[in-house]
Amino acid sequence: MDIDVRDMRFPGALTVSELNQYIKDLIDVNPPLSDVYIKGEISNFKAHSSGHFYFTLKDAQGALRSVMFRSSAQKMTFMPENGMKVIAHGRISVFVRDGTYQLYADSLDPDGVGALYIAFEQLKRKLESEGLFAQEKKKSLPKIPSVVGIVTSPTGAAVRDIIHICRRRFPYAKLVLYPALVQGPDAPASIAAGIAYFNRAHAADVLIVGRGGGSVEDLWAFNTELVARAVAASEIPVISAVGHETDFTICDFVADRRAPTPSAAAEIAVPDTAELKQKFLNIVSREKAVLLQTLERDRQRLLRSSTSRSLRSPMHTVEDRRMAVASLAQRMDPAMGRELEKRRGALAAAGGALGALNPMSVLTRGFCAAFSGAGQLIKSVGQVAAGDEITIQMTDGTADAVVRSVRLSDTIAKGS
Amino acid sequence: MEQEKLQELSFEAALARLEEIVGALESGTAALDDSLALFEEGVALVRLCNGKLDAAQQRIKIITEEDGAVVEKDFDAPAG
Repeated sequence: MDIDVRDMRFPGALTVSELNQYIKDLIDVNPPLSDVYIKGEISNFKAHSSGHFYFTLKDAQGALRSVMFRSSAQKMTFMPENGMKVIAHGRISVFVRDGTYQLYADSLDPDGVGALYIAFEQLKRKLESEGLFAQEKKKSLPKIPSVVGIVTSPTGAAVRDIIHICRRRFPYAKLVLYPALVQGPDAPASIAAGIAYFNRAHAADVLIVGRGGGSVEDLWAFNTELVARAVAASEIPVISAVGHETDFTICDFVADRRAPTPSAAAEIAVPDTAELKQKFLNIVSREKAVLLQTLERDRQRLLRSSTSRSLRSPMHTVEDRRMAVASLAQRMDPAMGRELEKRRGALAAAGGALGALNPMSVLTRGFCAAFSGAGQLIKSVGQVAAGDEITIQMTDGTADAVVRSVRLSDTIAKGS
Repeated sequence: MEQEKLQELSFEAALARLEEIVGALESGTAALDDSLALFEEGVALVRLCNGKLDAAQQRIKIITEEDGAVVEKDFDAPAG
């Protein structure tokens, strides 16, 4: 009853939701509020599991509740953070349930520095905290690769430069190009797929991942988490070669080696044939030096051992013995002399006796001896034939003769 | 190592063996006769490596997909 009475007394009364809806309708049809840019600082930021972002934009005097739905949140290049100064875009509307108006944001841009810069810094910080840039994670590059894998555009300047440098330096290596998109929304996935391909197929010893120079936006694919993770996951060492010397990308930090340009990457990837040959020359001369050193060392060792006490003392003993023998001989000499004289006398006597027995001594008595050409004493006519040259020995010389004829003595002939 | 066997070595294997030889020589543990043999082998390996380098022709391939299979094809580098 009371209520009825009140209704009667205040016929124009609205319910709360009616009022909120009325205000909402008023605001929603107001053109400036449905397409508005608002400068402010983010606070109370919350990334809900639904994918929506909830936050408050504030400045020194005021605050504005804000929401960004998942569809817009997904498109953010960077993650909003408390304290970040932004320019938000969206529409103002009323949340009927709470009776509050709020900003339904569809984009946030950093106020002051660029969104890409913030995204870069954020990803860099994140990956660094995960240890993806750690020096100990860096793989060493092969000294002599047989296959160099290249992930880049097949039509860009980068691939041309890389091929040119490799051809000049080290034609021995095979080059395999994975044609990747290097800019645009599909580039990160394409680059990551190239890195994954080489790893899956074990198709290269070293990878060059990169592209030629361009704007920050052109190079952006190399600042994405997708590419960074693919590089980090690569078992094959990766050389990052993005843009020019002054361009630094996340890919550079994650890679095992950063090259300032694609050309420089090729120089890092392959050795120079001329240098390699020089190295071989050095190896040979080093080998030679080592050999000579070994020889010299061995000779020195031999010299040392030959003059060492162990070898010298036996020598001394020999010397000592030689001295002993000499002195003994000296002492022996006089006695020996006498003894020798005695013996020599005896020898001469015996010699005389021996001389008498010398068959040739008969020659002094006028006998001759005949020798065949072969020097044999002729004792029988059987040993000679007519025409043989023989030598006749007399006591004072020899005479050469030729046998005219051979006759057997009668007595001997009869006797036999 | 015999001459024929040497020829069959890849560049990388020859280089690895060469490094092994230099290491052995420099450690100075090899007997003199062995050292001489190692040196000779080293010189032969260097000759082999140089020969391979001289004979090398760069092969450039591009990964393409053909009938769902990933294949390598000869790649004509863009002129420059």
